[in-house]
Amino acid sequence: MSYQNDHQGQHEDEPVELECGEPGRDEEAYVRKQIELARRQADASPSAAIAAQQHQEDSPSLRIGVYICRCGGNISDVVDVERVAETVRLIPGVATAKVHTFVCSDPGQHTISDDILYENLDRVVVASCTPFLHEQTFRGAVARGGMNPYLYEHVNIREQVSWAHRHDPAGATSKAIRMISAAIGKLRHVAPLDQIKLPNHRRALVIGGGIAGLKAASDLAGRGIKVLLVEIADKLGGHLNQWGRVYPSERAAEELVADLVNAVGRNPNIEVLLSSKVKTVSGFIGNFKVAVESQSGANGATQKLNAVVGAIIMATGFRPYIPQDGEFLYRTEPTVLTLPEFVQLMRSISHDAKRLVYKEKNVRNIAFLHCVGSRQLDGVHEPSTDGRLNSYCSRTCCTTILQQALAVRTRFPQIGVFDFNQDIRTYGRGEEDYYAQASRAGVVFFRYNGEEPPRVEITPAGRAKDGALSITVKDALTWGQELTVGVDMLVLGTGMIPGQIQDLIEQMKLAIGEDGFLQEVHPKLRPVEVAVNGVLLAGTAQGPMNIQETLAAAGAAAVKAASMFATESVELNPYVAAVDLTRCTGEAQCVTQCDYEGALQIVQMEVDGEWVERAQVNAGLCAGCGACVAVCPHRAIDLNGWRIDQFDAMVDGIAADIPGRECGSELVSIH
Amino acid sequence: MNTQIDSNYTPDALIVGGGIAGLQSALDLADQGLQVLVVERQSSIGGHMIALSKVYPTLDCASCITTPKMSAAAHHPNIQILTNTEVEAIESRDGAHQVRLLQKPTYVNFDKCIGCRLCEYACDTEYPDPFEEGLGAVRAIAVPFTNAIPQKAVLDAAHCGTCGTCARVCPTGAIEFDQQPRHLTIRTDAVIVASGFQLNAVTVKPQFNAHRSRNIIAPITLERLLAPHGPYGRVLRPSDGKMPSSIAFVQCAGSRDESIGVPYCSRVCCMYSIKQAMLLSGALPLADITIYYMDIRAFGKGYEQFYQNAKAMGINFVRGKVARIHPVDGGDLAVQVESTENAETPMEPRRHDLVVLAQGMIPGWMPADSTPVACASDGFVATPALTAPTATTAPGIFVAGTAAGPKDIVDTIAEAGSAAMQASQYLYQKRSALVAV
Repeated sequence: MSYQNDHQGQHEDEPVELECGEPGRDEEAYVRKQIELARRQADASPSAAIAAQQHQEDSPSLRIGVYICRCGGNISDVVDVERVAETVRLIPGVATAKVHTFVCSDPGQHTISDDILYENLDRVVVASCTPFLHEQTFRGAVARGGMNPYLYEHVNIREQVSWAHRHDPAGATSKAIRMISAAIGKLRHVAPLDQIKLPNHRRALVIGGGIAGLKAASDLAGRGIKVLLVEIADKLGGHLNQWGRVYPSERAAEELVADLVNAVGRNPNIEVLLSSKVKTVSGFIGNFKVAVESQSGANGATQKLNAVVGAIIMATGFRPYIPQDGEFLYRTEPTVLTLPEFVQLMRSISHDAKRLVYKEKNVRNIAFLHCVGSRQLDGVHEPSTDGRLNSYCSRTCCTTILQQALAVRTRFPQIGVFDFNQDIRTYGRGEEDYYAQASRAGVVFFRYNGEEPPRVEITPAGRAKDGALSITVKDALTWGQELTVGVDMLVLGTGMIPGQIQDLIEQMKLAIGEDGFLQEVHPKLRPVEVAVNGVLLAGTAQGPMNIQETLAAAGAAAVKAASMFATESVELNPYVAAVDLTRCTGEAQCVTQCDYEGALQIVQMEVDGEWVERAQVNAGLCAGCGACVAVCPHRAIDLNGWRIDQFDAMVDGIAADIPGRECGSELVSIH
Repeated sequence: MNTQIDSNYTPDALIVGGGIAGLQSALDLADQGLQVLVVERQSSIGGHMIALSKVYPTLDCASCITTPKMSAAAHHPNIQILTNTEVEAIESRDGAHQVRLLQKPTYVNFDKCIGCRLCEYACDTEYPDPFEEGLGAVRAIAVPFTNAIPQKAVLDAAHCGTCGTCARVCPTGAIEFDQQPRHLTIRTDAVIVASGFQLNAVTVKPQFNAHRSRNIIAPITLERLLAPHGPYGRVLRPSDGKMPSSIAFVQCAGSRDESIGVPYCSRVCCMYSIKQAMLLSGALPLADITIYYMDIRAFGKGYEQFYQNAKAMGINFVRGKVARIHPVDGGDLAVQVESTENAETPMEPRRHDLVVLAQGMIPGWMPADSTPVACASDGFVATPALTAPTATTAPGIFVAGTAAGPKDIVDTIAEAGSAAMQASQYLYQKRSALVAV
């Protein structure tokens, strides 16, 4: 095997020739090579020199544990994990390299903490799935072993290796080894870090006074936590203020709203601001600064209120889908209504009415059309004005339609009811019963394919015996026959679309999903959290939900806030920028480049007995993006945990010659 | 058997069930500084979820999501776990509860067992592994499965040959053949019922003839076949180990059917069948995969898009109710469908070599018999409060997850958080009232 030195140091030594076949020699040569690399690195740059010095100081005690996960077979079906372990073991400083079926499992984590204790490890690498899933898990395991959790490196050999290169096992194995080698390189240059501790303001801001916001607020207040509840309307309750009976309890929506509003009203821990809007949000978990603008009184005067809160619950809800003009003749024909409009109509009719009269006409038959504005398909449906298709299911319309259809048949048995659906999604507890009852009550069901939605037309004059609107469907229940039904009224089963909170999304840097709703970090691991720490999601701001689901989601958001407030201070990752005051000249290029308001500023301070201007980092606001590092002409700012010399070491780790039992080209081929 | 917990231990809350709902509730309470006891009747926490291969709609491996929660609960300073333990009864007075527990003998002293598995390796009695749905074998004394918590050996008395080998090889003397069931009463202020679900039998509909063919399988069996660390490491049909080439998924095979007493929708079957179909088409690229359904209920976040992707991948969706399934030659099955899609041959039998029946979810435990918690007509825990979906009929007792009706993992986790929130509020108010007095 020939070793070609490609390290661009200041010295160019002769390439070192190594012979293959004697593993012992390979290893020895590799160690020599590593020492040589470190020496050249030390000459290359001053920061690397410091690092290399640290490395030399650390080296005698450096004992790295490497844990390679099979992930069931997700990794090991492609990557030869045993060979990875075997090879990695030969890298200097590696005290142990082990393979485990699931390193994230309890026995896997135990192995790590036990090895730290009994094998005196001082650095740990886990090569498994994305750090997004389990970096925190392994930091915890490392901490339980008594080691600083930031002397740990995570290597993603699943998403970045086994899944990406499933048709190239040899290349994948080689890449896994190199990525671990990079992590080991970095670990030679890391120092223990401590989490940043910041004071925690034990008060939550709940944005939105619909049922999600009311529930989250009353849950937190009931637990002794102060809440500021901000509602844009002049009344609490949200959409349910305009609703009839709710399924499956069939209780009045007013009753449900009143229950929640009373719970909020009773609790002295909650301050409610109506007709109010959150104008600005700044700060960070435990310390958000918010400005709220309220319209007060009849004269429309605005009042401003500033508050500091520790957590923000987004209970901003949804908007009902409004069909486009002419969509299924909506706004063209007055007898085409949306589902909420129909619910209003039913509410407005007196209990003893024998007939359903609308626009002074007796309604003899009604059609309900499912999935209007939901489950939209590319090429079939017109995108909204913002260019988006609502490809998701709105979750609540099927049961609401059946509830209304059943109500019509029960109250006005003479009215014929026709239901046009793709699928009936009465999935929830007590919901299937509406379907069964509606069928029994004589609702006639037609089924269309999503690709061919029914056509709605004005019935040609002279044929309008059954009604002014004709609905033509290719009915899957009768083997695709084309059927036309004439009706007096058409109810469009409109669903939910995201709320209009663009200003908050931009200010708070929230992520939205493909569906336009607020996006959680992970649907199962962190279902109510977003990437911004301390901001939580409650209810339909996150996606369509029914009432029970919304209330549960609000509770889930509240419990996360309650857990957050259980400690005196909030702890943040230490990956923030740090200024080297001996190099900083106060030019403020970093401040200009910084995207996070308040994270970097120039302040007067005393350095070596002189009053000078220097950059200062606010650790709570710094997102650790590194933009400042890139622009500083004096290399005076760097990121803790991701320093430039650490990156250099990783690159060297990737490029380093890797010892191994085979000399084939596969070991050095990186795909 | 864990004997370290006794009646002197009075946790703030006791959680019935260590599945995903119970674990999430436990973590959400413990993170608030409350002491929690999780009681699990199986030998490991993790519930049904830990046995799944991958989960929709993200296709994350289920272990990758479950094991960290299991581990977080096991390591939490505020959480204690009792496995192999059943709740016999709950007596409530003045909003406080006495929970009578029965710890079943495991014949292994958990204080001494170090999980080295020497007993398991030495044991020469094997029986079909319940964790692998009977497809693999497990020793009579064994750690329940690879990522089980706790990692303690448990002896299955029904299969033990009483040869004594395990006791001889155990380096710590942990084997105790004379262990007896232990009764234990725990006093606590709040209880969360997270007792989960079970599935009705694949044989529940005699016209599907599941008792006559091993190639008519339960979805959980297919989960194990699809799991990378499953019994065979690949998908083979049970009767003859053949790689299936034509697989049928029969939806609503144990739900939405008044004739079997399950009129409701089980809520998860559409999505897991679509997921399994997708995984199968990855594992067996040449296989034909057909899903027979009445309605596809892809209602959750990202679910409809998942369904559309499956259609685009070439999975056949046939709208029609399966009437009968008959075993035919070669271990194959004839599936007779009342299809709504072809007028000419609506009842023509279609041949498949593996059939998966989407079973219905039924309650895992009936607390109404032994506790003040009432159940609704569907058998699941009743939640009559209009604005508190996790409150039961008993003050201080809450419910989370599928104990209150079928639910997927996402909805279960949200509800578990909500139950923890209700319980912590209850505790807070109860205690502030005490302080006020």
